[in-house]
Amino acid sequence: MADVTRLVLDLLKPHDPDLVEFSNGVAESPSVEGLNTTLIETDREVQNVKLTVEGDAVDAAEVEAAVEDLGGTVHSIDEVTVGDRPVQERPTPQDRR
Amino acid sequence: MSRRLDDLRELLADEDVRSISRRYFVSNGFDGTLTSVGVVVGSYLSGVPDGLTVFKIGVGAAIGLGTSGVWSVWEIERAEKRLEILRLERAMLTDLDDTEIQRRQHGARRINAVMSGLGPVLGVLLPLVPLLFEGSVVTLRTATLASVGVGVGLLFTFGAYLGDLSEQNWVVSGLRMGLAGVVVALLNLVLPG
Repeated sequence: MADVTRLVLDLLKPHDPDLVEFSNGVAESPSVEGLNTTLIETDREVQNVKLTVEGDAVDAAEVEAAVEDLGGTVHSIDEVTVGDRPVQERPTPQDRR
Repeated sequence: MSRRLDDLRELLADEDVRSISRRYFVSNGFDGTLTSVGVVVGSYLSGVPDGLTVFKIGVGAAIGLGTSGVWSVWEIERAEKRLEILRLERAMLTDLDDTEIQRRQHGARRINAVMSGLGPVLGVLLPLVPLLFEGSVVTLRTATLASVGVGVGLLFTFGAYLGDLSEQNWVVSGLRMGLAGVVVALLNLVLPG
């Protein structure tokens, strides 16, 4: 099975830990080499965040466990890139309006 | 060990943890100092013959107030932090047991409780120190006056600290708190018993 090189997750987290602490917490996962967290929406108690992690062999279960340990929950896995060759999403006829 | 120290450092840098701990420390320190002033003046007026006896009575008060400070805050913060977790769990629709959030809350609760206990212990014991010199260096009357002075000074320090922190005039703030020590001493003089 080829290795996962990029994972994009849609998740919900409390305000505390803040985005910096949260990102540092997830970045401690051994299979994560770099990540980006983007705030999508903020509510009274929670924040909706898009998390993009990259690495040579990202362990999805390990990332999910790190998110949950920090008090977050994964809503959905929105994008996965697998293999040595970087592949971008391609437009399809269904994308046209 | 180094991980624990890092966690402790992180918690101590957290403004919420500092703010709550500060309130408990100063509030209970204030109680402790006033209790100490009351014990010292009351003992002198009741005819307790030596400083060491007053000191021992004061230590009893410090143990009582220190235990009360730790115990009550441990229970108060258990309830408050549990409530906070429940609110978050409802918003997140998930169980937050055994997460970093819960571990941090537990650590914060420990710091809150320790600071809450430390305030009254310092507040009671520091004003009692002059009484240890009664007999060898000073008379009981002088030691009692010095104890009240240390108590008022300590209250002034609490007030000045809060004043400085909130960018108010620290001298005025210190004097306002220090005045409480003088009032307690005077009340002991005026009131019967």
